[in-house]
Amino acid sequence: MANKYSLNAVYFCTGCGIIEIPPSITARWDAERFGIIPVATPRQGNLFMITGYVSLKTLRAIIRTYEQMPDPKYTVGFGSCPINGGMYWDSYNTIKHLDKYIPVDGWIAGCMPRPEAVFIGVTHLWTLIDKDMANGYIRYREHYDQYRGNQEKLFGKLDWPPLYATATAQKEMAA
Amino acid sequence: MIDGLKEKLEKAFPRAAIVVMPDTDYLVTVDKESVLSMLAYVKDSGFDHLALVSCVDWMDEREFELVYVLSSYMKDNEQVNGNEKLNLILKTRISRDNPAFQTVTHIFENAEPYERELHELFGVYFEGHKRLVPLFLERTYDIPPFRKDFDTRQYVKKIFDNIPTIQDTKE
Repeated sequence: MANKYSLNAVYFCTGCGIIEIPPSITARWDAERFGIIPVATPRQGNLFMITGYVSLKTLRAIIRTYEQMPDPKYTVGFGSCPINGGMYWDSYNTIKHLDKYIPVDGWIAGCMPRPEAVFIGVTHLWTLIDKDMANGYIRYREHYDQYRGNQEKLFGKLDWPPLYATATAQKEMAA
Repeated sequence: MIDGLKEKLEKAFPRAAIVVMPDTDYLVTVDKESVLSMLAYVKDSGFDHLALVSCVDWMDEREFELVYVLSSYMKDNEQVNGNEKLNLILKTRISRDNPAFQTVTHIFENAEPYERELHELFGVYFEGHKRLVPLFLERTYDIPPFRKDFDTRQYVKKIFDNIPTIQDTKE
């Protein structure tokens, strides 16, 4: 795939993991060697790193940000908390499994992962892109009913329109 | 140290229990009727900064303890000797079964977000507060989540663990 060496990371900060990103993208570890550069807006990006615990309020922003990014786009869960809740495993206001709400292509475990781990994750992502296995954006379209359903289970009715036509919406349009 | 503040407070509020901590902190426990007049009094005495409003859930005693933490940064205040920062902690108890109290926003305006926070996390109602709407939380909870009888593990099982994983239906 042509874009594997030009990953434009959305500079979206959540949780404590974002403190690892400034040294990773600047002179000391220099993510630009791997073709990663932070971009200002999600409409220009194709790599979305969720860098820490996700509260309900943040999840709302994450979904909106993810839906604004152009295809193809890749999501990486960064740190323990998006994987299974981490130290917030019994918190009342933190979601536990990020991949129930948006598709995730890869995980970088650790609390916190060091910049070296980030780059190992990036090289793994290259492999996945080469083999067409980093297909989260396709899965999001195909299973949008389930994703949107899970999102609405948490938030009630969402105050933005669906990104893709859900099955119920298609039925309504046909009727 | 403010000269004679302890004596003045004891004279003005005879029912208050006042302890002077070694490192220039005052710890004052009053009944809930005297809180507003006490806050106004210590504000005039130099404690011009309300740093925090907090709450402690004493579930077995069926009481909430409201904690007001005040500071004095007035270095040029004539009543303050030396330049050290002074703290005053004011505590009062209210009923847990009917958790309502007066707002202090007309004395310290910056108490507004603290009282909203206590309202949504502990369920304490502040009478006279102009904007008692949720501050942080996205969901509504049966029991306010910072109360001791809120079972976080059970809540996680009921809400988050019940959300299904995405099933790949394609073969």
